Amino acid sequence: MKATISLSIISLALLTLSCDDRNTAHLAPEYLYDAGNQRVIKSIINNKRGTIAVLYGNDPALQSASGSLSKPDIGAQYTLVTWKQKPMPQWYGTHMNGEIYSIETVKVVQGNNSEPTFDYDFETGKSFKPGDRQPEKSQRVSFITGQRAAIFP
Amino acid sequence: MKQPGLTFYRGAAIMVIVIFVGLQIISPSIENPPVTSEIVVPVEVKQILERACYDCHSNESKVEWFDKIAPASFLVAHDMEEARSRFNFSEWDKNPPAVQELLLWEMVNAIEQKKMPLKRYQLAHSGSKVSASELAVLKQYVNTLPGRNKVDTARIVAQTSSIRKVTTGKTPVSLNGIPYSADYKNWKIISLTDKFDGGSTRIVYGNDIMVKAIQNRRLPFPDGARIVKVVWGKQVEDAEGNVLPGNFQNAQFMVKDSKKYSATEGWGFAKFDGLALKPAGKTILFEQTCINCHRLLSPENDFVFNIPTK
Repeated sequence: MKATISLSIISLALLTLSCDDRNTAHLAPEYLYDAGNQRVIKSIINNKRGTIAVLYGNDPALQSASGSLSKPDIGAQYTLVTWKQKPMPQWYGTHMNGEIYSIETVKVVQGNNSEPTFDYDFETGKSFKPGDRQPEKSQRVSFITGQRAAIFP
Repeated sequence: MKQPGLTFYRGAAIMVIVIFVGLQIISPSIENPPVTSEIVVPVEVKQILERACYDCHSNESKVEWFDKIAPASFLVAHDMEEARSRFNFSEWDKNPPAVQELLLWEMVNAIEQKKMPLKRYQLAHSGSKVSASELAVLKQYVNTLPGRNKVDTARIVAQTSSIRKVTTGKTPVSLNGIPYSADYKNWKIISLTDKFDGGSTRIVYGNDIMVKAIQNRRLPFPDGARIVKVVWGKQVEDAEGNVLPGNFQNAQFMVKDSKKYSATEGWGFAKFDGLALKPAGKTILFEQTCINCHRLLSPENDFVFNIPTK
């Protein structure tokens, strides 16, 4: 009987106790990236490098990525933002973006003999380590400009 | 001052007994309905589930004598009813295979975050705790489920919104009144995810109110905050390790309005499936499925999973 009564009291006490876990998460606005007027072309996961990225583009870049143009349009501008992956805090079974690793930009400009040329820039983010190697320009330009846009409804 | 006499104590004791006996009469009976389709999992996984979860999440509850005594019995009956409504290992086939997988991942997460088994249940049932090594067994198991490495090999289907407008003629609206809107394409990205259960990649957008709240480290999020999560399958990994988005699967909306959606912690939920953007859910109860998981696992994030946090 004693056990029953104390159990009942404990359960009632526990029932009335509600733990309010609100306001405990530490938001990390430094993980956000402002792509200005550029819009999303697609996301790219790379599990070998442990990164997750978003390719943004201006209107000509988006049109080029959505269409069947074999060559990117002059005037197209691309931004590939790469973040380091990390496990999602509340959900085992999902990885999400953490700190920014790099920001790569490609501008397609008019070359000498009407062939397009590419201005490429590689900017390091917070999670880029001093020993990390920067990627090779021509390979990155063709990777970035060769991406087809993800299907949006 | 006059002390209360013996009659007072006797009267009080009789009252307590009367209330206690009365409670026993109206106490809910705890029944075990028949087992219709029991979950099939490896023995080592089954043992953990049986010991830690079956008392509430199955039709094979081993109810202790003290669970049947009021007022505890009210609590036990309530917990069991709630637990069985979430998922029932004895009626496992009621869930489609994809939902079964998601539930198993959810269980692992509820245990990892110490939300399950319930503290009050553990207190009364010593030995129901799931140890770290048992959790590792469960984690290992969910990683063997087919959705873990699911690859979208289908040809990518494109359909522009203009085609959809012609075919359906109207904007899809969720059962709770939230309309689909393509505004999010002009919003900022708040996070990106690679989800293992079911194999998908997601881009999560936030409107200005949401992004400002993150920038100002403001929690809970203010009314007017909106989040849209766009979900694609994952294509096969290329030689360099790149995994590109496959077919569009769905778009999920969360809309903050603390008054309108007070029953679901201030968030209105909507999900639009496939390129036809068919509103998900057969009844308005679909919202409960959403909030149950958010409420259990991300209360400290104002019930949102996909936000940038340290």
